[in-house]
Amino acid sequence: MFEFFFKYPAAAYERGKIVLAGGWPVWLLVLAIVAGAGFMGYLLYRQRNETLIKGYRQIAIWGLQSALLGLLLLMLWQPALSVTALKAQQNVVAVIIDDSKSMGLVEDGSSRREKAIRSLDGGLLKDLREKFQVRLYRTGERLQKIDKLEQLNSSDRATRLADSMKEVVAEAGSLPIGAVVLVSDGAENSGGIDLETIQEIKRRQIPVHTIGVGREKLIKDIELSEAQTPAKALQDSRLSALVTFRQYGYAGQKGKLTLRESGKVVASQDVVFKQDGVQQTESALFNAGSAGAKNLDLQIDPLPGEENTLNNKLTRVFDVSSAKPRVLYVEGEPRWEYKFIRRAMEEDKTMELVTLLRTTPNKFYRQGIGNPKELENGFPTTVDELFGYQAIVLGTVEAAWFTPTQQELLHRFVDKRGGGLIFLAGRASFSDGGFAREPFIPMLPVTLPERKGTFHRDPATAELTVAGRDSLICRIEENADRNLERWKTLPYILGYQELGVPKPGALTLAEMTAGGKAKQPLLVTQNYGRGRTAAFAGAGTWRWQMLQPLADKSHETFWQQFLRWSVTGTPTQVQASLSKSMLADESKVRFRAEVRDKSYQPAGDASIVARIIGPNGTGSEVTMTPVPTESGVFEAEYNAEREGSYVVEMIARKGVEELGRDVATFRREDGVAENFHVEQNRELLEKLAQQTGGTHRGVADARKLGADISYSDAGITMRETKDLWNMPLFFLLALALRGSEWMLRRKWGVI
Amino acid sequence: MRLKVLIPALAALLTIVVGMTYAQKPFRQFQGSEYDEFPLPPDYEEKSELVLGRLMYKSVSRGFRRFTSWTIDYPRADRHLAAGIRRLTRTHVRSVEQPISLDDDDDIYNWPFLYAVEVGHWDLTDAQAARLRDYLLRGGFLMCDDFHGSEEWEMFMDGMRKVFPDRPVVDIENGDAIFHVLYDLDDRYQVPGAQYLWTGRTYERDGVEARWRGVYDDKGRLMVALNHNMDLGDAWEWSDDPRYPEKWASLAYRIGVNYVMYAMTH
Repeated sequence: MFEFFFKYPAAAYERGKIVLAGGWPVWLLVLAIVAGAGFMGYLLYRQRNETLIKGYRQIAIWGLQSALLGLLLLMLWQPALSVTALKAQQNVVAVIIDDSKSMGLVEDGSSRREKAIRSLDGGLLKDLREKFQVRLYRTGERLQKIDKLEQLNSSDRATRLADSMKEVVAEAGSLPIGAVVLVSDGAENSGGIDLETIQEIKRRQIPVHTIGVGREKLIKDIELSEAQTPAKALQDSRLSALVTFRQYGYAGQKGKLTLRESGKVVASQDVVFKQDGVQQTESALFNAGSAGAKNLDLQIDPLPGEENTLNNKLTRVFDVSSAKPRVLYVEGEPRWEYKFIRRAMEEDKTMELVTLLRTTPNKFYRQGIGNPKELENGFPTTVDELFGYQAIVLGTVEAAWFTPTQQELLHRFVDKRGGGLIFLAGRASFSDGGFAREPFIPMLPVTLPERKGTFHRDPATAELTVAGRDSLICRIEENADRNLERWKTLPYILGYQELGVPKPGALTLAEMTAGGKAKQPLLVTQNYGRGRTAAFAGAGTWRWQMLQPLADKSHETFWQQFLRWSVTGTPTQVQASLSKSMLADESKVRFRAEVRDKSYQPAGDASIVARIIGPNGTGSEVTMTPVPTESGVFEAEYNAEREGSYVVEMIARKGVEELGRDVATFRREDGVAENFHVEQNRELLEKLAQQTGGTHRGVADARKLGADISYSDAGITMRETKDLWNMPLFFLLALALRGSEWMLRRKWGVI
Repeated sequence: MRLKVLIPALAALLTIVVGMTYAQKPFRQFQGSEYDEFPLPPDYEEKSELVLGRLMYKSVSRGFRRFTSWTIDYPRADRHLAAGIRRLTRTHVRSVEQPISLDDDDDIYNWPFLYAVEVGHWDLTDAQAARLRDYLLRGGFLMCDDFHGSEEWEMFMDGMRKVFPDRPVVDIENGDAIFHVLYDLDDRYQVPGAQYLWTGRTYERDGVEARWRGVYDDKGRLMVALNHNMDLGDAWEWSDDPRYPEKWASLAYRIGVNYVMYAMTH
């Protein structure tokens, strides 16, 4: 259509420049148009008393006549299009065909590869060969020159368009490449086409014309787009996996989300699919199991009719630590809560609960100690002693019982060491225990009431908040909704404390109703410094154990999860992390270690090595180097050459003394990325074409590319001047102006 | 609209019903075998952490003691022990005991410490034994006292076998935490009842030797502690009587306190 009116293709106009070929100056054209319009106006003015055309009718007629005159004058000045075009048979056009696995996807009875071949064979290649030398390439993991289309087989396990583009552009140094034609579904999986590549193409002025293949949206498909699991976990801990997916064609239907560790199902739950194309996130709980590096497959089981079932599964790796975190629980007086918390934790073999109980004004009773010296003199007074624990629980023990040094140590324990601190309710807790003072005020996740008498030995019933619904601390039933209801049926807590108001940024996980008053916070958590703190307002959860059937584990589960939360994230002296835990069709990974001394101050003078055990037990070692801008942080880059699982142990030393070690796990998987995002990425293809001065088309319009491709600034070109004065649009416009005048005159009865 | 009102109302009703089912019974007092009336201390209604439970049970038919042997030394012994716990530890204990019946539905589960006397005369039904078993396995603690000789032992065991058919009653070793949780009680001796004052004997029936026995759970925690051939109840009861020797009263308190401390820590 464009070409019918404007005589030449749009690409010619986009790349060309409008000029006036008549040779007369432009100012003369303007002057002639102004003079002509003035003359027309004068003639009409003179006739004003001799005709019926008056007022606005005169102005309309004047406007139409002046426009026609202006158009005719413009045509006299010979408008033309000056455009650079490729010289016939002297340029090379590179035709790159995506030959990755996603091009093998069958849609409407034929694969994308077959459709691409049909479009090229259907005339486009012939048109191109008539004007240019055509070089065929296949691309996927790398660019490869081919002689004929039959060599395509959709076998490459990745699509690296950026790398292919770079290679072709590099060839332009020795070949007169006038244009690039890219036939692809755009399912790029190496991170997109970077700005550097685009700049290089632009610098060489090579237009990239893209031809999109494949559906932009699958009709029936479920695709997992993200899966989040913790990088590290404690043995037998309950973990949460967040799985994000979207689907087409199954809205309202049920699917099954299954988690498998080494082939064994560790969690399975139903999911109900939301609207088509909408990102949906579901959480699933599973048990971390025993210590070691773990591979977790997260899958939505394929449904009947799915077009691509290879994108239903993602794999994640995490490391389960064999370390047993130690929690110190200090209790100011004998009480049932103490006994039953101890009993709950006795069932958890992955943590150690050490308790210090003031039985009399002058005596302590210690349980769970590692050696007879531990806590021999009561609550720790040194960093070495206190920082050996991962979390502290304060029972009903008044703030003033701690010396100023111990109070400061507690603060440093959370703030610097990154430990967990739980405040429990009791008659010497919170406001009643004098905790509304430094350094406790900032550590508490609540603003305490400014009065005493906040502890009551009365019943309180518990209920989860919205935040508590998804919290691992509060999950005593697998299913989130059933868990909400389960909390409502728990026996009442005998003894509660008014905590005051949760601080901004704190998370209220549970609330309680007591004494006919409005709901008030029961469990509030917050992050503080490098650590975390929690306030728990209940003092009689032991009734959950005594007043429920023996087989019921809600009391044990709650306390195990609560204390596990308190230690989760408490760093060791060496904290290992990786830039990525899954390498999909890539090999480079960055190791990072945060190293601290015994006081948990950054240890910038440490030396770190990373020992890597790769697939088949192959070992290697890398020395990590300090990051200049971050004290105590060390990094190293590693190239994982083989597919499989890797375990990295980072060991820190200061002189001959070992400061600590930590383990991280990652996995390299090849050929997986190609199974995902298989819809045609039209946006990427359009953007590439637009940024390089090319055009984008669907496979059905591919043949029209033959007309556009000649206009290019790259390769061997010549400048052409194409007449525009005779383009159909001018004649049609002149006809329209004259016709409009005639119609108006007829309407007004002057003809 | 109706459902919107009905559902919260039903939920509230359910909460109340569940709450009432699980609720602790208020303080109550019965006539004792030895005390028709006993004055209540002014703070008897104080809400506290620990309440000493006194196990009520039906006795085997033995004349005047039928149905009432659970009330021996009651309530004086209990209140003296409570006062002792208050004085010697940081435990917030109620000044008065709580009589607890195995027939009061789930009430027993609200009182994790139980004291039972004259258990050589208890007569437990299967249902009562099952409830007591469940109570102990959930975390409750039972201290049995004031039963003497082989005949009362056998009668006690008749009941205990109903509670735990497959758990042995064993001697508690000296090293067990129950003898060290607060006081080190390696050197223990027989604590006689008040009968010593007029008989001069430290034992009753053929129970010449004091035996410290118990029943453990699967994790090695004592659920039941037995003071066979002893009468700690009398020792507490008569501890304010100058005729009753201090050494026995003192040991009785230390044992009682240790048992309570153990029950609250294990």
